[in-house]
Amino acid sequence: MKRLLLLAALTVAMPAIAAPPTAFTPADVKALVAPPAKGVRIVALWALDCAYCEENLSALATWQRQHADVDLVFVATDAIGQRDALSARLKAAGLDSVPSRAYAEATPDRINYLIDPQWGGETPRTLVIRADGTRKAFSGALSAERISRLVK
Amino acid sequence: MRRLLFSASLALAGLPSAHADDMHGMAMGHEAPLGFDAAIDAAGHLWVVDTVGEHVRARRSDDMSRSFTVSTIVNPTGEPIYAEGENRPKIALGPKGELYVTWSQPRKLPWTGFVRFSRSLDGGAHFDTPTTVHADRAEITHRFDSLAVDGKGNVIVAWIDKRDVEAAKTAGKPYLGAATYYSWSTDRGAHFAPERKIVDESCECCRIALARAPDGSVDAFFRAIYGDNIRDHAFATLPAGGASPKVERATFTQWHIEGCPHHGPSLSIDAKGTRHAVWFSAADGKATIWYGQLVPGAPPAHLSTVATAGASHADLLADGTHVWIAYHQMSSEGLNLMVRESRDGGASFDEPRQIAHTANASGWPKLVLWDHRAFVAWNPEGEFRLVPTEALK
Repeated sequence: MKRLLLLAALTVAMPAIAAPPTAFTPADVKALVAPPAKGVRIVALWALDCAYCEENLSALATWQRQHADVDLVFVATDAIGQRDALSARLKAAGLDSVPSRAYAEATPDRINYLIDPQWGGETPRTLVIRADGTRKAFSGALSAERISRLVK
Repeated sequence: MRRLLFSASLALAGLPSAHADDMHGMAMGHEAPLGFDAAIDAAGHLWVVDTVGEHVRARRSDDMSRSFTVSTIVNPTGEPIYAEGENRPKIALGPKGELYVTWSQPRKLPWTGFVRFSRSLDGGAHFDTPTTVHADRAEITHRFDSLAVDGKGNVIVAWIDKRDVEAAKTAGKPYLGAATYYSWSTDRGAHFAPERKIVDESCECCRIALARAPDGSVDAFFRAIYGDNIRDHAFATLPAGGASPKVERATFTQWHIEGCPHHGPSLSIDAKGTRHAVWFSAADGKATIWYGQLVPGAPPAHLSTVATAGASHADLLADGTHVWIAYHQMSSEGLNLMVRESRDGGASFDEPRQIAHTANASGWPKLVLWDHRAFVAWNPEGEFRLVPTEALK
């Protein structure tokens, strides 16, 4: 038991252990877009077929390392069945320590709509959700400067 | 306790709780890819192509999709196939009953693919061994194939191609997006001409719309890149030989995105040569499907909004002064198949009308015409059907 507790504590203290993406269902949308207790949550939506997405994920991960109050989640619009390909891509890019999800549906349109009805499914898509409940969204690859403008 | 601790650590690590391991190997809705294409031949037979695992399947229905009397595997030797969304198998019909089929084959590396072609000259009983359309065999993107037959029966295939991106990378030069290439066959698909570039620096993830003009030529309408990642559309006629295509800008939404829209346009040209088109843009953060009549080199005429938030993947068909637009409208209850109709050549459209619904997913809608009536080919949950567009009076 002690060992278990220690393990749990370590998991919390360490910058998240590399793990494959977990399934993201329509029922998970509410929690994902709910305002965080403090700071901001950044949801980075990406796809295997999107050549701009890795640089966007990478820019966001770098930003998060410099900003302690930023909770970052990667959500792939690809189906969870692609878990291995998604994992491999994130690992190769050195981005596998960020919590990661993948759609539980083979066609992304419904979950896209539930996350953000104004979003046409284009990727990369970045959602910024603040503790005060306000939200901002941006389609396309972000630079550090653009992230800073989006988060403020 | 153990489970509690596990859940707690997941929650603290920033993951909304998910029973990750329960999901392994579980079927999530439909497993088969939903990409399909459909066409109706001169005798009123409906042809549908889709995929079954690593095989492209061509089917014929003589009763408007209620039953299929022919079902033939195009590629008996299986191979990986892109069969979702903007990347799906295509079918086109030749003037002598030829069936032409193309698809994109994923290669090992991300974003790579070869454009594949097969034909049947015996009414779909057999298909020839598939061939690769392009001479270039680099392990790069040759994907998002589009297929059409011109007025002389020549087969035209266009696709997105990254060879020029690779060359620019090697030379250390900047290059936005990818190039768009095409090839043609003047012998019913036995051989294809060496491919030709349509344009450099076009969008790398949207289907290319092809349509036949009254003079028999095949015209292309596709997402290009202008300036700093302004992703508007270009128009070009694709000759089978002769002069190189002349490419002109045809939409001016000014949508800036350094990303992948995944929304290709649609084009249909009426007997008078009016180029009816629909396309997607999210300029200023407003997702919109636009209708317009293309005037290459200048902004489109009769520009109007077809649909906004939650609408996607519009297809369009013109027949005389009758124009139909079919599209997907997402809602929290599921997916609605919508239609808008014009009887005055696109000057005005009726209000959107829902003609079908599914709680699940479908391949993109495709309009087909029979005896001046339009039907929408649709396959919610993988079940193919033709949906009539007529309003109930």
